[in-house]
Amino acid sequence: MRKYTVQVARALVYTGLTLAVATLLILGAGASPLQCAGVFIRGIFGSLNGFAEVLVKAAPLMLAGLGISIGFRSGFFNIGAEGQMYMGAIAATVVAMWPVQMPSWIHVTLAMAAAFLAGGLWAFIPGILKAKFGISEIINTLMLNYIAFDLTGILIRGVLQDSTDYLPQSPALGPELAGILAPTRLHAGFLLALLMVLIVWWLMEHTPTGFELQVVGSNKRAARCLGINVMKSIVIASCLGGGLAGIAGAGELLGIQHRLLEGLVGGSGYTAILVALLGRNNPWGVLAASIGFAALQVGANTMQRQMGIPAAIVSILTGFIVILLLCDALILKLIEKRKVEGAA
Amino acid sequence: MKGIVKAFPGVIANNHVNLSVKAGEIHALLGENGAGKTTLMNILYGLYQADSGSVYWKGEKVHFHSPLDAIAAGIGMVHQHFTLIPTMTVLQNIILGLKEKGYPFIKITEITESIQALAKRYGLAVDVKKRVCELSVGEQQRVEILKALYRGAELLVLDEPTAVLTPQETCEFFEVLRRLKSEGHAVILITHRMAEIMAISDRVTILRDGSDLAVMNTQDTDPASLAKLMIGSELPERPVIEPHKGDAAPLLELKDIVVKKERISRLAISLQVYPGEIVGIAGVDGNGQKELAEVICGILSASQGTIQYDGQDITKATVYQRFRRGIAYISDDRHHDGLVLDMNLRQNLMLRKYKLSPYTKHGCLNRNKMDEFSSSCIGKYQIKPPSPGIKMRLLSGGNQQKAILAREISEEAKLIVACQPTRGLDIGATMQVRSILAEQRNRGAGILLISADLDEILSLSDRIAVLFRGQLMGVLDNGAELKTETIGSMMGGRPLAEGETTYA
Repeated sequence: MRKYTVQVARALVYTGLTLAVATLLILGAGASPLQCAGVFIRGIFGSLNGFAEVLVKAAPLMLAGLGISIGFRSGFFNIGAEGQMYMGAIAATVVAMWPVQMPSWIHVTLAMAAAFLAGGLWAFIPGILKAKFGISEIINTLMLNYIAFDLTGILIRGVLQDSTDYLPQSPALGPELAGILAPTRLHAGFLLALLMVLIVWWLMEHTPTGFELQVVGSNKRAARCLGINVMKSIVIASCLGGGLAGIAGAGELLGIQHRLLEGLVGGSGYTAILVALLGRNNPWGVLAASIGFAALQVGANTMQRQMGIPAAIVSILTGFIVILLLCDALILKLIEKRKVEGAA
Repeated sequence: MKGIVKAFPGVIANNHVNLSVKAGEIHALLGENGAGKTTLMNILYGLYQADSGSVYWKGEKVHFHSPLDAIAAGIGMVHQHFTLIPTMTVLQNIILGLKEKGYPFIKITEITESIQALAKRYGLAVDVKKRVCELSVGEQQRVEILKALYRGAELLVLDEPTAVLTPQETCEFFEVLRRLKSEGHAVILITHRMAEIMAISDRVTILRDGSDLAVMNTQDTDPASLAKLMIGSELPERPVIEPHKGDAAPLLELKDIVVKKERISRLAISLQVYPGEIVGIAGVDGNGQKELAEVICGILSASQGTIQYDGQDITKATVYQRFRRGIAYISDDRHHDGLVLDMNLRQNLMLRKYKLSPYTKHGCLNRNKMDEFSSSCIGKYQIKPPSPGIKMRLLSGGNQQKAILAREISEEAKLIVACQPTRGLDIGATMQVRSILAEQRNRGAGILLISADLDEILSLSDRIAVLFRGQLMGVLDNGAELKTETIGSMMGGRPLAEGETTYA
């Protein structure tokens, strides 16, 4: 009961602070906060399209966020979802461009599988370096992001470029993830993401492998002394995480853009780190956080279109919310203290 | 301190505890692990806030929000694990965090002199220019005390101060305490060693299960009645060791094993352990004991030599394979090697067997079977509090150790490597651990008992091997005629001469 009131108080404090900052920012942009709020909410819930758009944007965040959360729980701090997403997309492009006659659903499945493998392999590099030689995965995954991004740039100006055009992009790809809510852009990738939430939850909570990953994440030394193969666990965590991010990249490719472009991923690999963080590395938390982030983006885009208020306000708010949550312990302490003083 | 209450999830650590300490007295705080001693002191020191009750300091009600407040009021604390920075000098450690006169341009010479004067006054000989990492444990403790005194501490709280000291260092340390007392300082001594309480304290407060049971003058009591009050029942008997069962083939045989760490040879040893015997490894800490334990369990690999176990060569076997063949390991470092403190009790109990049937079936963990197993462990070893969902971190040291024993020791354990199994435990828990080991030996398990506590080795072992700088100084049969001095001189590095060898 006591715990519950603290939770509610905390939620109120966070919401209040965030709204206060939002109001200040909107006033600073020279608009009416109330009107903005109206537009923001209508942008999300006002139309089927707006709502579907939230889920469209949530899918890659969810998949990459899940991957990152597996790493975080196993002590593998993967900052490289962005690059793994690009590698997934590259692999999916290659498979999708493969001129072989086969049913579309098989072709898409093969492309997604290739994306999983490519993302997994890309994360395997920092994974094995950390597991075998103890080299920092934080720096390595970050550096591999640059490599993957620029590799994409080179490929779409080279072998993967659309030969009928001068733009740096691949040809339009035939196989695609089926739409599931016409006429919106929502595609099967979202269902895949939901399925992955379930699978990751099952893996982490109900299998010996998940148990090992958690032990390695909390205390590597004890894991070693008790006979858990720490190296194997780190490699598994990194590859699974990279694989999920690879699928996320391929989902954007085969569900939305249908061409490999330089801006395909556009930073969602980094946003996904925040999703994992806010979701407390719990699959269901990641599900909620990814939808929350996506809703913020959609609402902000509507605000920008209709009222000319920069969508960047949302990035500022995001930063603010993350800092708030990282200060969680401090804020909890303040709330508890208030209660103690109130009781005395 | 009056009516202090502090509850953690699932435990009431302090339940209306009272404690009063006078100036110029040494007050012992006695209690088993988990009785609430450390919690009480953390409240006094401002690390925790009491749920209710109040602290009075020099007659006034005070409220310490953090250790800074407590230090400012004149309370100093020396934790069981020191809080010194090894790469800094003694002087730097002592003034660390203080803004001395003229800060940031402090007068080092003046400060050095005042610290030296302070050290001399209390008999705390230590070279202030040395780095802390170059000091012995006893010296580091003196630095901790100096640090508190330099900050003007009038009341010193010492948490298990003698746990890390040799008998001789303990004597010196008591001299310091007497000096402090004569200068009017008050000392709270947290301990569970009876002899020390009798030797040094003026009064003693006994805590049990979070409540204070009694306050008495030390001279009006005796160790037996203190122990009885502390554990709430008669002391358990010393474990009975049945006579050694004799001459089977060796269970474990180390042949010319060499372990190197950073290219320095840490261990070079040949040793046998037979089923149904306890081989005690005596020696001063840090002479290769931990390496010995780890090479047997497979955590460290041997750079030379072979390990024969139960008729097979296990030199190359993994930790897990060795466990499956019946090698159990009780580590000396519960927090790092033995447990995952952020996971719960159930998960920690399952750490060895989670992937075996019936706990894993068709690739899935079976929660019900795990619950059954952990409940039976909790019942059998009386782990408190008996809730499988509690975070390991919240258990007391003794209960953490019981959890390790419950996990490691089972019917299948043929060889038990027990490294400092009773370190940091109180009398009750120590006796329980020792009788479990004796029971296992009598059941037919071979036990390698590594301990810095010679009494423990002498009371349990069939044979005693002495380790010095990674080498065996000799193996002796344990018996009434065995002289402590013989072992003592071997611990100091004198190998057993040919004729003296009582065991080939």
